[in-house]
Amino acid sequence: MGKNFGIGAFVLGLSIFLATGMVFSQETIKIGFFAPITGPAAADGTSAKNAVELGLKEVNETGGIRGKKVELIIYDDRLNPQEAVAIANKLIEKDKVIGVVSGSYSGPTRVTAPIFQKAQIPMVVGYAVHPDVTWDPKEKKPNDFIFRNGFLGEVEGAAAAEFAVKNLKAKRISIIFMDNDFGRAISSGFAERAEKLGATILTRQMYKFPGEKDFRPYLTRIKEGNPDLIFAAGYYNEAASIVRQAKELGITAQIMGEEGFDSPKFLEIAGPAAEGVIIATNLDRDDPRPLVQNFLKNYRKTYNEDADMVGASSYDAFMILVEAIRKAGTDPKAIQKALLETKDYNGLTGKISRFIQGEVVKPVQIQIVKEGKFRRLGVVDNIEVITPPPKK
Amino acid sequence: MLVQQLANGIAVGSVYALISLGLTMVYGILRILHIAHAGIYALGAYTGWFAFRLVGEFWLSLFIGMAGSALAGYLIERFLYSPLLHLPRIAPLIVSIGLFTAMEETFRIVAGPHTLTYNAKIGIGDLSLGNFKLTETQLLILIVTFLILIILWVILSRTRTGLAMRACAMDAETASSFGVNVKAIVAINFLIGSAMAGAAGVLIGVYDNQVWPTMGSIPAYKALAIVVLGGLGNIPGTVLASFVVGMAETFFIGILAIPFPRDAVAFVAMILVLMFRPYGLLGKG
Repeated sequence: MGKNFGIGAFVLGLSIFLATGMVFSQETIKIGFFAPITGPAAADGTSAKNAVELGLKEVNETGGIRGKKVELIIYDDRLNPQEAVAIANKLIEKDKVIGVVSGSYSGPTRVTAPIFQKAQIPMVVGYAVHPDVTWDPKEKKPNDFIFRNGFLGEVEGAAAAEFAVKNLKAKRISIIFMDNDFGRAISSGFAERAEKLGATILTRQMYKFPGEKDFRPYLTRIKEGNPDLIFAAGYYNEAASIVRQAKELGITAQIMGEEGFDSPKFLEIAGPAAEGVIIATNLDRDDPRPLVQNFLKNYRKTYNEDADMVGASSYDAFMILVEAIRKAGTDPKAIQKALLETKDYNGLTGKISRFIQGEVVKPVQIQIVKEGKFRRLGVVDNIEVITPPPKK
Repeated sequence: MLVQQLANGIAVGSVYALISLGLTMVYGILRILHIAHAGIYALGAYTGWFAFRLVGEFWLSLFIGMAGSALAGYLIERFLYSPLLHLPRIAPLIVSIGLFTAMEETFRIVAGPHTLTYNAKIGIGDLSLGNFKLTETQLLILIVTFLILIILWVILSRTRTGLAMRACAMDAETASSFGVNVKAIVAINFLIGSAMAGAAGVLIGVYDNQVWPTMGSIPAYKALAIVVLGGLGNIPGTVLASFVVGMAETFFIGILAIPFPRDAVAFVAMILVLMFRPYGLLGKG
């Protein structure tokens, strides 16, 4: 009897435990997240994950969403698209998330977009740049469940050109860019706008990515043309090599880059050669809004390093999704509707006026390296430049 | 601009020569395609980087990087290749490929996936002549490479060991019957070849200010193409091929300005050589 009672109590206890567990899991709001936490893009993936976890802590410490705690389900895509497909299916079928944040590059994000679109689960993308993230190239219509917080390559390139020609008065420009979607898109956006504003493009050189480390032959050719400004598109390793080698070769032209430069690793590898380099990016460190300054301070305190564009953009993507859930509740379709109706959202990376075909409309930040840190130099908010071109 | 590009090309060619020589020497004596040689190159960069972190002196770190690579090369020969020599040559080739992958992963696990910076003060300064400029690191590469090439030439042509090395490369069995200690000569080959690869690793680490886990993956196959171009096992041919490839790459990018991928140059050259001079640039048919 006593023994039976013991077992009975155990079973009862277990069922209560399971039941509360189930109730508890119903009580949380599940958001999926993936980033390249290990592998070749580990620096960016970790940065994205850290920033989003910081956002998660803030949301849960201030009472969650409508009284429910948010649960973040994190996967590592290792920058591998196949891996990302498996993750997307798992998030939908096993984890049953109601929304997703991408803290990854274009490769993994792009393959997951049609999966989430089909399942009608909204995804907000931190910084992946490929046009087909928000667009279905076969059906020729937008993936209307996918929203992008970062800039399209063309928009960022055009904004960089706007600043280069109008503010820096560059007239003779050389372009060097990496051979991938991002490099091609941003450099063509730059060239088009710069030529429209009356500047001359002296040279346009493309380098292999990944793999190229020796930019001296390219830069020697650029030096020959004696430009006022060099627009360089690439990620931080190559960016640092370009900047250093240009300095070594005695090139004095202003070097301008883009958000791929926006990493503490760029400053570390380029060293003193980074001084004075100007970039177009998606984070203003000198933005006086408390939102921004608190984030930078908390990030530094929590992780003992400075936040970068990738982290800030992923944080924003997460918060945009949280805001939509707060407004619309937990039904994915209602969340999508709320995202479509986003208006004048006060984001960490700037004020988002709205989304057009899933593409963000917000000012592009121009930063300059001063004493080994990125500092504010200007903002490009010309609506003609920052409005994403319609896709066809 | 032409002279400047010449300097850029020679610097790249020098590094290719340092990597490829070890490969061609190993092939010459053992007839093994030593893919893991590129791992030895990366190991040299990591060892040098680590030594530089500890002692803060570039020349010492270069020496330690070379020594580390030489030791690793010797161990690979002694414990991996040597027991497999009675098998068909495909066996050590497979081991070599596996070892190379394992080395890359080891670098990633031990030193992390991030790029490390090898920000060494060398202290020789730039060399400027009017509009032409040899940067400090280019000058460094030229000096180190030419010193090493001269030492190699002296060893091969002026010492008994060098004579034994050449004899073994020609015919190890006959050399052995004349009293040459083939085992020792093979070990010396690996020590010298690996030390040169290690030097190349350190030089590239400083030249690019970057050391990263997969830095050997492009040299792994490019050195192979260069070695074929130079005529497998042919040392002067390999040096010539290295400079030809380095210059060709630089000129394609910097002067002709056609967007031809840099890494394809070595292979196009290799295919041409195989078609028209199958024994290599300096080979005798």
